[in-house]
Amino acid sequence: MKARMQNSSSSAALLKQEFLKKWINGLQTYTNTKKEMTILDRKNAIKLSADIAIASTRNFSTNWSRAVMADVSKNVDGSSKIVTEKILGRKETCIIKCSKNIMRKSRLLAHRRRAIRRTIGRTSVKAASAIAKELVKKRTRVLKRLVPGGKQMNEICLIKETLDYIASLQVQVDVMRNIANAADHQCLDSTERSLL
Amino acid sequence: MSSRRSRSRQSSGASRISDDQIADLVSRLQQLIPEIRNRRSDKVSASKVLQETCNYIRSLHREVDDLSDRLSELLESTDSDSAQAAIIRSLLM
Repeated sequence: MKARMQNSSSSAALLKQEFLKKWINGLQTYTNTKKEMTILDRKNAIKLSADIAIASTRNFSTNWSRAVMADVSKNVDGSSKIVTEKILGRKETCIIKCSKNIMRKSRLLAHRRRAIRRTIGRTSVKAASAIAKELVKKRTRVLKRLVPGGKQMNEICLIKETLDYIASLQVQVDVMRNIANAADHQCLDSTERSLL
Repeated sequence: MSSRRSRSRQSSGASRISDDQIADLVSRLQQLIPEIRNRRSDKVSASKVLQETCNYIRSLHREVDDLSDRLSELLESTDSDSAQAAIIRSLLM
């Protein structure tokens, strides 16, 4: 048990480093391409770079990361495309375009699967277990909306993706929080120095 | 042939198999969510786990957004080159 925990903490540290490197790379690309940025521009750049960076740590192995990349390439303006290429490399950016077709195909498959399930009959007995099932179904629907690409997954896939997605979000938040706190300290230090 | 077999499995026995799988995955979700993990009760219903999962994901999204706001304000207030350099320096230490 201890060995597993140590392994998971060292792999989490590696993940954080990878995320950090990619995130900063993306940020620097932004500041190099756009000299004049409003606060809102900057905030969107920070958030977008962070999302691309954390999704790319998955190496296209999960549905949610592919969905994030597909969304990014959809709303792409020139600079975010450059950021994506910087973080992933040109080859992988082409893979994103291909993955959009994959997403379309899986959407069709999911639609067909749902049609088959509907034709298998349903009883309408309102036992307590049925009510519990309704609740689970309702909550599952909400979860599908929250996890990127969730709408095309079955329940088991959805929960597996959620596990990975939450772990990645935790890494993202941890690193961003550490940087924000460090930057806070730096700013305080430099203002103190300027007052002396 | 195999597709016919899997389709019949889907309507009867598969539901039992996938229930176990789902229960295992739900318990793993339980471990990940601090709300539930700290409550130390073994029996949490699936719908409760799902609800807390959604709340947790929403709060993580919100935190990423807030941190992006905070960082953009910080980078705005100081010279961007020196701020980035200072941040990177403080990270490597």
